[in-house]
Amino acid sequence: MSALDFDAIPERVESYLRGLFWQRVHPLLLCFDSEWRLRDIRGDAAHYGIDGEAPGRSVQLLRDLFIGLPSSEPQDVPFVELPNGHSAHLHLIPDGAAFHVLLLDAETERERRRAQQQLGHEEALASQAKSKAIGQLKHIRSELERQRVRLEEAHALKNALIATLSHEFRTPLTSIFGYLQLVDRRVGDEPELREALHAVRRNATYLFTLAENLLEYGRGDGAAPLLNPTPVDLAALLRDLEAMFRPLAEEKGLGFDVALKIEDPSEPLFDEIRLRQILVNLVSNAVRYTRRGEVTVELVWRAGKLAAEVTDTGIGIAAAHRDAVFTPFNRGGHAGSKGAGLGLSIVKRMVEQMRGSLAFDSEIGRGSSFRVTLPRAQERPAAHADAIAPRFWLQERTILVADDDADIAHLLEALLDDLGFSVRVVADAQSAVLEAMARRPDVLLIDVELSGLSGNAAVYKLRSRGYKGCIVTLSATATADAREAALRAGADHYLTKPLNVEQFVHVMQQAASAGWNGGDDAPDA
Amino acid sequence: MTAIAHKLCMLGDFGVGKTSLVSRFVHSTFSEKYLTTVGVKVDSREIALPGRAACKLVLWDIAGRSHLDALNMTYLRGASALLLVADGTRERSLNTALELLMQSRSLLPAAEVVLAVNKLDLVEQWEIAPAVLAELRRTLPVHETSARSGEGVEAAFADIAGRLAA
Repeated sequence: MSALDFDAIPERVESYLRGLFWQRVHPLLLCFDSEWRLRDIRGDAAHYGIDGEAPGRSVQLLRDLFIGLPSSEPQDVPFVELPNGHSAHLHLIPDGAAFHVLLLDAETERERRRAQQQLGHEEALASQAKSKAIGQLKHIRSELERQRVRLEEAHALKNALIATLSHEFRTPLTSIFGYLQLVDRRVGDEPELREALHAVRRNATYLFTLAENLLEYGRGDGAAPLLNPTPVDLAALLRDLEAMFRPLAEEKGLGFDVALKIEDPSEPLFDEIRLRQILVNLVSNAVRYTRRGEVTVELVWRAGKLAAEVTDTGIGIAAAHRDAVFTPFNRGGHAGSKGAGLGLSIVKRMVEQMRGSLAFDSEIGRGSSFRVTLPRAQERPAAHADAIAPRFWLQERTILVADDDADIAHLLEALLDDLGFSVRVVADAQSAVLEAMARRPDVLLIDVELSGLSGNAAVYKLRSRGYKGCIVTLSATATADAREAALRAGADHYLTKPLNVEQFVHVMQQAASAGWNGGDDAPDA
Repeated sequence: MTAIAHKLCMLGDFGVGKTSLVSRFVHSTFSEKYLTTVGVKVDSREIALPGRAACKLVLWDIAGRSHLDALNMTYLRGASALLLVADGTRERSLNTALELLMQSRSLLPAAEVVLAVNKLDLVEQWEIAPAVLAELRRTLPVHETSARSGEGVEAAFADIAGRLAA
C-alpha cells in the first residue's frame, strides 16, 4: 500500500476516521437552489445554532455572508463567528445551477488563535502605552528637576535676602526710631532742630519703606508689578536727594553736584517710590564707592522721558564684572566694600518694571557713570468696572456661549452683553458645533465640562472641520495638563473658574480682536 | 420596500474599536473589555433613508491588522463599502488605516470609504491633531466617533449608507 492509497485501508479504520471527522469537524451541509431556497439540510445544525426545523434566519445570514460573491464559483470564508458564538469555516460549493454551503467547525482553532492573538495585542498595546507613559514621565521628571533647581535657587536667594535685610535695614532702623523718640522728647520747640528732626524722621521712614520694598523683591514670585504712577515734582525729588547725600559726600571730602533740566512742559508721571529707589541706590553707590573727587547727579525731562545720570570718580568696575554687577549679592568690582550687593539688581528690576533702560560706563580707578532712561508712565489702567463700560469697541461682535449650567450661562451672557457683544447661548456641545459652523460667531466661549460631548471634543470637531474662529474654553480644572489638552484640541484661550473678571475681560478683548484669523474662508460643512 | 443589502467591511489596526463600533451601532452596547477578533464576525442593521429604499448594512467586523494578508483579502471580496477605523489616541493607527485603504484599492477600486477616528471620549489624550483631519477631509469623509458614548457612530454609518444609496 502506498502512502496516499486510502482505498485499501481496513474498514474498521475507515469507520474510526469517519467518526473522528464528524466528532471534531461537525460538518453541516445546506443545499440550495439557484434562488437561495433551502432544499436539504444534513449534519449537526444545532452545533451552529441553526434550527433545522425553521432555518429562515440562519439562511438569511448565510445569504448576507455571500453578498457580492458569485454562487457559480467555489467560495471559502474561514473563521466566521456565528450568532451562537461558534466559529466555522464556510464553503460554497457550486453544483450545476444549484449550490451547497458546507460549515466546518473552527472553534478549537479559533480559540487557540484568539489566545495567542489576545496576548500579542495586549502586549503591543501595553508596550505602546508604556512607551508613552515613560516619555511623559521623563518629561515630567526633567520638568520637576528644573523646577526643583529653580525653587532651590529662589529659596536660597529669598532666605539670604531676608536675613540680610533683617540685619542691614531693620536693626539700625529700630535703633534710629528709638533714638528719634528720645531726641523728640528733649529737643523742645527750637524750630531749626525740629525741622532737622523731621528730616531725619522722613528719611528714616523712607528707608523703612525701601526695606519693605526689598522684602517684596525677596518674595520674587515673578508676578507683574503693580505700578502706581503719580505726578512727580522732579525739583523736590532732587532736593531730597541732595539733602540726603550731600552731608555724606562732604563728610568724605567729595564734591556733590546736582542739576535739573526741564525741556518738556508736560507733567512727569512715574511711580515715585520706585523712581526714588532707583536714584537713591545709584547715588548711594556712587558716594559709597568714591574716595576722592566728586559725584554728580543730573535729571533731564525731555520728550516724555526722564534721563537720569549719576557719575562718580570712584573705584570703577572691572570689565570682567560688568555682567555680574546687576546680580543680587554680587559686589564684583566693589569687593571688600560694605553693603548687601543688592542696589544695582534692584535698580535693574525697577527700571525694567517701568519699561525703561539702564546703561553704564566704567573704568577702574577713574569712576563710573550710570544712565537711566524712563518713559512717562501710562495712566493707571481702569478698574474692571471701567474696562467693561466702553461698549463701543465691541459692538457688532458676536459670541456663542456653550454652558449647561444655567446660572453660569446667565452670568456670562450679562458680562458679555456689558462688553458690547451680541450673545447667543446654547446648553450642549453638539449644538455649539452646529451653531458655530452655521453662524460663524466672532468668538465661541465653551465650557469644557459639558455633559455628553465634552467641550474639548466639540472644539476638536470644529477645528478638524477647518473652523478658524476664535475659541475660548472655560474650565473648573486649573491644571497645566487640562490647559494643554484644551489648547491641543484647538482652543485659542483657556480660562478657569471661578472667573477672574479682569482676566476674562482682557481675554475677551483679545478674542474679539482676533476673530476669524483665517480670513473669510467658510469652514467645510 | 425591501432593504437593499450592502457588504461593509470594517478595516483598521487592532484595538482601534472596530468591534465596539459595530456593537454600538447594531446592539447599542459597549464593553470596556478588549477582546481581540479572530477571523470575522458578521452583523447587520437596516438604516432608513429619507425618500429612498432602506439600506441594509451587512457589517464584516474583520480582525485588526496592520496590513492586508491573503485571509483579509478573502473577507474583502464582494464589499461595496469600507469603514476605516483609527484610534485618535494612537497616531500610528491612522497611518495604518490609510495604508489598509491603499492595499484594498486593488481589490475594491470602487468601494465607498469613510474614515472613523474613534475614542472621542478620550479627546484629551488624542495624538492626532485637528489640522491633520481637516486636511484629510479634503479627500475622505471623516467622522470623529466614540463607541463608548455613541457620539458620531450613527452619523458615520448613515454617511456610508447614504453614499451607497446615492
